[in-house]
Amino acid sequence: MDIGIRKPSIPEGLWIKCVSCKETIYRDDYDEKFNICPNCNKHHRLDVRRRLEITADKGSFKEYDANMTTVNKLNFPKYTEKIELLEDKTGLNEAVVTGECKINNHKMVIAIMDSRFLMGSMGTVVGEKITRAIEKATEKKLPIIIFTASGGARMQEGIFSLMQMAKTSAALKRHSKAGHLYIPVLTDPTTGGVTASFAMLGDIILAESGALIGFAGRRVIEQTINQKLPEGFQTAEFLLEHGFIDKVVNRREIKEVLSKMLEIHKGGKR
Amino acid sequence: MFKKILIANRGEIAVRIIRACKEMGIQTVAVYSEVDKASLHVKLADQAVCIGKASPQKSYLNIENIISATVLTGAEAIHPGFGFLSENSKFASICKECGIEFIGPTAEMIDKMGNKSEARKTMIEAGVPVVPGSKGKVRDIEDGLKIAEEIGYPVMIKASAGGGGRGMRIAYDKEKFESAFNTAKSESKKAFGDDTMYVEKYVENPKHIEFQILADKYGHVIHLGERDCSIQRRHQKVLEEAPSKVISKELRDHMGSVAVKAAESIKYHSVGTIEFLLDKHGHFYFIEMNTRIQVEHPITELITGIDLIKEQIKVAFGEELQIKQEDVKINGHAIECRINAENPEQNFMPSPGRITELKLPGGNGVRIDSQVYSGYMIPPNYDSMIAKLIVHDKTREEAINKMKSAIDELEIEGVNTNIEFQKFILNQDDFVEGKYDTAFIANHIG
Repeated sequence: MDIGIRKPSIPEGLWIKCVSCKETIYRDDYDEKFNICPNCNKHHRLDVRRRLEITADKGSFKEYDANMTTVNKLNFPKYTEKIELLEDKTGLNEAVVTGECKINNHKMVIAIMDSRFLMGSMGTVVGEKITRAIEKATEKKLPIIIFTASGGARMQEGIFSLMQMAKTSAALKRHSKAGHLYIPVLTDPTTGGVTASFAMLGDIILAESGALIGFAGRRVIEQTINQKLPEGFQTAEFLLEHGFIDKVVNRREIKEVLSKMLEIHKGGKR
Repeated sequence: MFKKILIANRGEIAVRIIRACKEMGIQTVAVYSEVDKASLHVKLADQAVCIGKASPQKSYLNIENIISATVLTGAEAIHPGFGFLSENSKFASICKECGIEFIGPTAEMIDKMGNKSEARKTMIEAGVPVVPGSKGKVRDIEDGLKIAEEIGYPVMIKASAGGGGRGMRIAYDKEKFESAFNTAKSESKKAFGDDTMYVEKYVENPKHIEFQILADKYGHVIHLGERDCSIQRRHQKVLEEAPSKVISKELRDHMGSVAVKAAESIKYHSVGTIEFLLDKHGHFYFIEMNTRIQVEHPITELITGIDLIKEQIKVAFGEELQIKQEDVKINGHAIECRINAENPEQNFMPSPGRITELKLPGGNGVRIDSQVYSGYMIPPNYDSMIAKLIVHDKTREEAINKMKSAIDELEIEGVNTNIEFQKFILNQDDFVEGKYDTAFIANHIG
């Protein structure tokens, strides 16, 4: 027998540490598919690929504007290098992926933001891709669902970045006037200019459990108004309680919830 | 042989395992929770590692900390004892992944036997008699009613994940079935997070007879005779004896060979116990297999002269079993009384606290497996068993007398115990005459 020859050791990746509850989770207990901590139910951030996997019907996704890339118009120092580095690291061209897909056979336009790419910040490309996706949805008379994840406007693009707020909002207004459905799903984190524009303009606004949703950061607000903010401030649950959003959803159920809403609203405006 | 073993347990079983290791020349690592710092197992082991707070979840069930302690102390194997992680297949498979020998069966075997409906299926396939009942899980009340009708009332409704009597209800007739089913189901959901149920014939007033199995990794399986564990209170064993008064040599050989067959059918290795119900007519049925060492293992050790812990460690290391079935001889009679810190007057409520005085009996054929000492503080966080008083003598009568005399000598002050309750059992005519079944305590206490 060879027992006792191999020295006991802990193989790499056996434990996963949850950054939220700080508990160590056994790899097989961890919900890889949904990226949810089994101990504290923290919905950890999902990248675009996995978001699509758990949302869209298999093989139904067709991407729009896949080759649109960012140009450093303001010659912001090191911005181009940063973008190139992130392109290599994430395999994405920008912080949002748009396209059309099916959810339980309901056709729709989808936009998914990825916080790995400069914290999902909204620059010209992000705003343009989202606007075009909305316009495509209007044109094709389809509902649009946007999974938001963003730190807000992109600093490196200055005023161009802020313009995206008005542009996306205007596109949504036309979509709404045409009688079509828009459902944003706010995921962790949804803040700044994204919150102040398309994230909050949905017909029905969903949010993932525990997601941070806000405009300015907690510390900024506390220092500005010189008051201590309440427990759970800027969480999805807090926002639901205060009437900013319509429903908090467990990530495992999002596909079913969206599918039901698409079913109910498939008639559009009459 | 292993050079160093970590014992992932506490209390008397940790002490028992450390003693066996010392006798085998193996170094030991004890693990302990914050409240167990002054425990005997911590004092006796060569090394001791604190693995967390008092709550079992944070310490004795904390897989990560136990694995880390093992790797850091350089132990090559973990003995899980009983309870805690001893039948946790995830733990067994993590040990394997880390190159640590889990002293027990493989994760697959634990899974196969741990899930009761799965185990039942396996046994039916192996030709081992089981209590008549549902073939697999029972889907709903209608399904359950149909099965109950087929096998005849009374029936027992059981949770697949169940244990310790929870998630278990008896229905004597059709009218009572629905409420019994629903209660058991919701109880199981609450206790185990799983409400898979099955239904089987309720064997009225059976004896609880279990066979000790010992098997190596090369397919050699033997049994070491039976233990009669019928003296139970709410499905918790109180007093055990071996051999059973009602089992003849022929029946022992027969049941023993069935038990061996059951273990062989899953290619089992390590120590294990096959539990049977034995009815008045001599029919016996498999109920479950415990894939670990058991509390009452000493009575088998005394009548066979075989040290089960040592054998368990040897086969885990990969040694071949040296004992053949024909070498196993039953010699005399042994009885074990579980001594619990609890108050029989107050519905057996646990009675933690400091032991102010302790007098232990001794003499020829008297064995005490315990973690307590004078001044020991019994923490409220764990099982209330504090000692096992075990006696061995030539005949059953002599063993009973020896137990009576030994338990009279036993004095534990500072906490309430069930010593008087054990004396009460020992003095019942039905017990002395060996006329008892699993309803004994309920019938004699009411």
